[in-house]
Formats: sequence, structure tokens, C-alpha cells
Amino acid sequence: MKTWQYLLGGLGVILVALQFVPNELPVVETENPGDLIGTGIVSDEVGRMLKQSCYDCHSNTTNYPWYSHVAPFSWLVAKDVREAREELNFSTWTDYDMMEKLEKLDDISIEVSEGEMPMGIYTAIHSSAKLNEAQIKQLVEWAETTMDLVVEEEEEELEEEDSVE
Amino acid sequence: MKKLSLLPVAAIVAVLFFQAIPKSESNDHPILNPEAPALPADVKAIVQQKCYGCHNAESKNEKGKAKLDWDALEAAKKSKALATMGKITEELEEGAMPPARFLESNPDKKLTAEETATLMAWSTGKKKKSE
Repeated sequence: MKTWQYLLGGLGVILVALQFVPNELPVVETENPGDLIGTGIVSDEVGRMLKQSCYDCHSNTTNYPWYSHVAPFSWLVAKDVREAREELNFSTWTDYDMMEKLEKLDDISIEVSEGEMPMGIYTAIHSSAKLNEAQIKQLVEWAETTMDLVVEEEEEELEEEDSVE
Repeated sequence: MKKLSLLPVAAIVAVLFFQAIPKSESNDHPILNPEAPALPADVKAIVQQKCYGCHNAESKNEKGKAKLDWDALEAAKKSKALATMGKITEELEEGAMPPARFLESNPDKKLTAEETATLMAWSTGKKKKSE
């Protein structure tokens, strides 16, 4: 056998061994009563954009491609999805309080307008998740308008509480 | 006649003086807008002393300026201001600001427990503007 054959064989053995390293992909949940889409603050168009470009990581409805079950890619996918859901999970939107909603919407507008999100490593593989200029503008405007709505909602609730007392 | 001819010279000197005053202030010691009412006085005093050096519109610290600009915060509409206050609360809870590396060379900029409490009371909305 030649040296390159040994090397290739060794690499194969390592790849097989990697598959036995424990790694858990964040669980997919299809029933999400607290999801942002369904609260009525998202137009159909913005909802579609969020689903297409954000929901794979920032929701409980991740669509795992086949290679996300193969180490070492699975480690990266698991880590990114876990951290993404911690940072912002659209599936549990209604659990956030007013301040959290505002912070997250503000972050959305900043990250999307600066091109930080969706992440380059993700759109390189999922080209359909890329946002064009018009979509970026629309998403940023939605986030900023929604921030005002969130504050208005809270103020109305406070007024109602006051009038009850 | 000779004394009168000194007048234009005096005027020019005076103009130079007036021009020099605001310029030196804005260049050397940026001052947080004292007229804007968004921040309570005690909060503003702490911010001016401990935060504003990096977090202002003219800051040379690009990251600090991008993350938080107190001038912009004072001018921001309510929803944006609240979002920023929420993020400030998070930073304060983590003790992340001012950054440890900055404090190494500027130990006097460290927030005291009391100052942190004052800032938090404001940023969490437990203290109203009028109080």
C-alpha cells in the first residue's frame, strides 16, 4: 500500500470515530403557541422572510439538513442553533416581557441592517436565506415600527390596570 | 484717532476669544448635553464621569460609539431608548462595563456599588424622571 492510501484510510477511521462523540441537536418542536407569527404583529410577507432567513436557528422549528447529523458539522450546527435560540427564539415570543421584546427587535434592526444576520456561514450554504437590499430595508422597518407598537401595547395595558384600580 | 484705530484690533481679538472657548471645550472634554431632560441629574453625573469618554457621538473609540452613544440615547424616541436601557441593565448586571482592560489603565473609572445601583434604578425604570 502507498502512503496516500494509509493517510486516506486513517482519515476515514477518524471520521467514523467522530460519529460516536455524543452530540445532541436542539429538539424540534412543531407546536409553538407562543410563536411570533400568529401574534398578529407580523405581515404575511415579513413572516415569510423571517421563516426563510431566520427560523432555522431562531425558532423551535429548525429544518435540519442531512449533513447536520454528521460530525463534525453536527457540532457546529448544534452549537449555533443552541446559542441562537438562547439569544432570540421566535417560537417563544410571547414569553418575553416588554423590555426583552424591545431589546430583541432593536438587535434585529441593528444586526440585519449591518449584514451580520443571517450569518455568512449559513447563507453560504442556504442561498435562499440571503436577504436582498429591499428585504433588509423592509425587515428593519418592521422591527422599528414593531418596537413602537410594543411600547403602545404596554402603555394601554398600564392604563387599563389604572382604570381598574 | 490713534486710539480709535485700536478698536477693530480689539474687536478681532474679542472674536478670536469667543471662537476659542466653545472649540476647546468640545475638543478636549466632550460634555453630555446638559439641556436634554432624558436622564435624571444623578445618572447624568455618573455617565458624564465614567461612561461618556468612550460612548459619545464624537468618540474615537469606534466600538464604544457604535454600541452606545449617550447623545443619541437622549434624543431617541421612547421605544429605542427603552431598548437601549434594557441593554445597559444587562451590561451592568454582568459587570461588563467599563471594560476590565480599560480599567487597568483607568482605575478611577470603575463604577462604585452605589453608582451601579443608581444607574440600574434608572435603567430598569424603578426610578421615574421626576423623582
